[in-house]
Amino acid sequence: MRINQLLLSGATACAIFFGGTVSADEVTIASWGGSYQEAQSKALFKPVEKALGITIKEESYKGIGQVRTKVAAGSVPWDIIDTGSGGGARGCAEEILIPLDYSMIDTSNFVADTQLSCCVGTIVFATVMAWNTDTYGDNGPQSWADFWDAEKFPGTRAIRGKMHGMLEPALMADGVPADEVYSVLDSEEGINRALDKIRELKPHVAVWWSSGAQHAQLMKDGEVDLSTGWNGRFDVAIADGGNLKYTYSQGLQDYDCFGIPKGAPNPDLAMSVIAEMSKAEYQADIPQYITYGPTNTLAYETGKIDETLAASLPSHPDNASQLLPISQEWYAKWEKMASEMYTDMMTE
Amino acid sequence: MIKALPIHIQQVVKTYGRIHALDHVDLEIKSGEFLTLLGPSGSGKTTLLMVLAGFTRPDSGSVRFGDREVIRTPPHKRDVGMVFQNYALFPHMTVAGNIGFPLRLRGVQKDDIHQRVEHALSTVQLDGLGDRRIDQLSGGQKQRVALARAIVFEPRILLMDEPLSALDKKLRDHMQIELRRLHEKLGITTVYVTHDQREALTMSDRVAVINHGRLIQCDSPRTIYDYPASPFVANFIGESTLIPVKRSNGNVVLDGQVLKVSGAVPDGRCSLMLRPERLTILPDRRNPDYNVFPGVVEEVVFQGESFVAYAVLESGTHVSMRGISQRETVASLPSRGKAVLLGLHWEETVLIPEANEDAPG
Amino acid sequence: MADALNARELRQDEWREKLAMFGLSLPALVLVFAIIVVPVGWLFWLSLFNDEGVLSLSNYTRMFDSKSYTRIFITTFKVSILTTVFCVLISYPFSYFLSQLPKRWAAIGLFTVLLPFWTSLLVRTYAWLVVLQRKGLVNEWGIELGLWDQPLKLAHNLNGTLVGMVHIMLPFMVLPLYASMRAINADYVKAASNLGANPTRAFWLVFFPLSLPGLLAGMVVVFVLCLGFFVTPAVLGGGKVIMVSMKIETLIDLFFNFGTASALGVVLMILTLAVLFLAHRLLRLDKILGERGA
Repeated sequence: MRINQLLLSGATACAIFFGGTVSADEVTIASWGGSYQEAQSKALFKPVEKALGITIKEESYKGIGQVRTKVAAGSVPWDIIDTGSGGGARGCAEEILIPLDYSMIDTSNFVADTQLSCCVGTIVFATVMAWNTDTYGDNGPQSWADFWDAEKFPGTRAIRGKMHGMLEPALMADGVPADEVYSVLDSEEGINRALDKIRELKPHVAVWWSSGAQHAQLMKDGEVDLSTGWNGRFDVAIADGGNLKYTYSQGLQDYDCFGIPKGAPNPDLAMSVIAEMSKAEYQADIPQYITYGPTNTLAYETGKIDETLAASLPSHPDNASQLLPISQEWYAKWEKMASEMYTDMMTE
Repeated sequence: MIKALPIHIQQVVKTYGRIHALDHVDLEIKSGEFLTLLGPSGSGKTTLLMVLAGFTRPDSGSVRFGDREVIRTPPHKRDVGMVFQNYALFPHMTVAGNIGFPLRLRGVQKDDIHQRVEHALSTVQLDGLGDRRIDQLSGGQKQRVALARAIVFEPRILLMDEPLSALDKKLRDHMQIELRRLHEKLGITTVYVTHDQREALTMSDRVAVINHGRLIQCDSPRTIYDYPASPFVANFIGESTLIPVKRSNGNVVLDGQVLKVSGAVPDGRCSLMLRPERLTILPDRRNPDYNVFPGVVEEVVFQGESFVAYAVLESGTHVSMRGISQRETVASLPSRGKAVLLGLHWEETVLIPEANEDAPG
Repeated sequence: MADALNARELRQDEWREKLAMFGLSLPALVLVFAIIVVPVGWLFWLSLFNDEGVLSLSNYTRMFDSKSYTRIFITTFKVSILTTVFCVLISYPFSYFLSQLPKRWAAIGLFTVLLPFWTSLLVRTYAWLVVLQRKGLVNEWGIELGLWDQPLKLAHNLNGTLVGMVHIMLPFMVLPLYASMRAINADYVKAASNLGANPTRAFWLVFFPLSLPGLLAGMVVVFVLCLGFFVTPAVLGGGKVIMVSMKIETLIDLFFNFGTASALGVVLMILTLAVLFLAHRLLRLDKILGERGA
């Protein structure tokens, strides 16, 4: 791979400046920063640090792309990284994340489809449909077919500017049952069918959103009447006084996971830390700080999460049952092609 | 065909804050005349020119070109040619483009423009330079192009704002003669602004001396030089030493000596004007045509074409006399410290009224 | 010749001086090489490798196969051209006005133009969102005052993008324009009017051509800066204005596809150079036209 050699030479130069040394009982975790990492720090990092008697250093980073650069440069400053499931899947495929030892990490009570060979889920979130309660009151759309129905629900829509989490709703709106979505999507025709459905919606799309902060703001400001988006972000907008609601109905289940980069300074300790963080007692604290669901369902039995809060979380059994888990296999296979096709459709 | 128009300037006033740039100026410029506005910088001469061109709006007054009142006419409708101090040749046009510009604006046919531009070029002796860019021209050439542009549309009046000030002395002297010749050929009423008194005397039919926004004297160069109307004019034009004189029984007396005077003796206090070149060294007091002033030579300076002798009179007044460098005069040169008799011919003995018109304003 | 007095020593001094000059400018030359020549060369090199790391032109052919690439380039140029045009329409009269003011007043005017420079681009862009969106200030007031009854689509589209970009680019147009207008001697316009040009003709025949160098400089700067814009179209375009930089971001961030991203960069660079070359030719053409047409 000549290209990697080239990147390597450039990145090595950087490594000379930024590389450092690590002691044996210390791990460095890189996550997304902001309110999300704060919640992780309080619920996971600090307590685990105490329990294991080690030091956990925190950094924020920009995702799997950065891991890739660091690995290529042969200088990885992080032992554990928090990544989206898509990033985790790419990391596995590219072998820049090492396989996890599932004899150490107990995932027997995890929500289905929230782990990969080298990335284990930590929180569950959902891609859902939200509506403006000023426009529709409590009677918002309950299915993607509703979301697509501009006569039943006149108003402006915001949908994602990338195909991730967009093709599945489109097929469901087109009448494909949730459990058949990925088999239909598993061909160019299937993808085109989904894209055609989105073409139908295009005249009503006011905004193609590009970040979680954006779709939350759009709903909060009443800039659009309907939007797809991530439940945690909508909860923030609701907490901020936005007039909106969302439903888990036909939502997509997705998760963030922890992985260990190849060449991490302290992989063995990192494995223990991940095992510890995957336990229900820690995970149960996450929803106290941010409305994401624990991947470990035992967390709901610790008594730490009250009924009302539990009922609102995406990994709660009542909600999880309505969600379609994202298929990492499908993304690994079609992501590139479908992305190009999606951009074609957007720019038409 | 009328080639020129007279200009009537009446009671023109222009103030900037408390400063009078023009203070009730009255001036009649004759048709076809070459009139120079002369004054030190800040005297108001350029302001007056700008009023004529229409770039400066006066506070009050009247300006007529012939019978036409133009005081409210915008510059582009005045039909006067103008040569700017920095020439203001358009750098994005060629020489021909510049000269043809006023014709283009007047809707002249293309062929006709070409012909007239060529003609104007040959008038200013720049034949064949029409395609040159402005930045390829020398200072003198730019000057001629500016002139050609100002006259090509045959205006009745031509205004020039210190057009020669950027040229070196030799070229300036040459252009003075050439401008004068061109004026004679075109017969166009010309108002010329300069602070160079020599230039004014060389070129003009009449010179209007301006100071502190006021017109002080307007006369032919000879009159201005020989009979300045005020100490300011006497000092500003040529060199002169003014010596206050006394009155006694209707006579004019200096150092106890009754002066033989040319022309009328003005009322009130006045001074004798001594111009260096008008003084001569006399061998004795016998010539009755001369007023004689005894003195002592302080210094003799050789200046090439002439020499200057500095002397102090008995009254203690310092004067200078200029003679041309010529065998005879050089031979009669006194040396330093020698007593000398300085003579002034009575016809050149002129008294200047001490008006208070040049009190600094 | 060698025997001429001090000739050899003087020649040596000259050489030494030249060498010293070269030595002094060497760090700058190295820096330019390191931060401009090397990265651009590297970019080009990377663009020649496909996903498998094999030397190929697939990164370039892909741009012709996929419709979206052409559209993205068209959008990029359209947005850049429109931004430039609006910048000209706003900056020209404004700069002209400033150039006719006394210098002190003009400085205050310039300061107000530069003021936005002190706030971050992101903040300004989001501020425009607040002003322009469906329930933003403009629409609320417009509806309140009865000027229109349905919210105007001012944000999340080309309109919003242009407003934001013009606002950000304005100083880059005003500054060179103002400088070149200030440099125009007032006597040129006076001369034109003396020669019979009414104010309109004096402006178009003399002032405007003389201000062209500043205008073209401003246009080139604005246009080229626009080509690489990212934040403003991303925030104010609502996903409907996809420019090359945004595509590059997706390619690298999502797919780590340096090859295609580099190819996009190279094509954009070549197109930009082509535009600059054209502008240069136009500039000279203009000069010729100005002379012949006069």
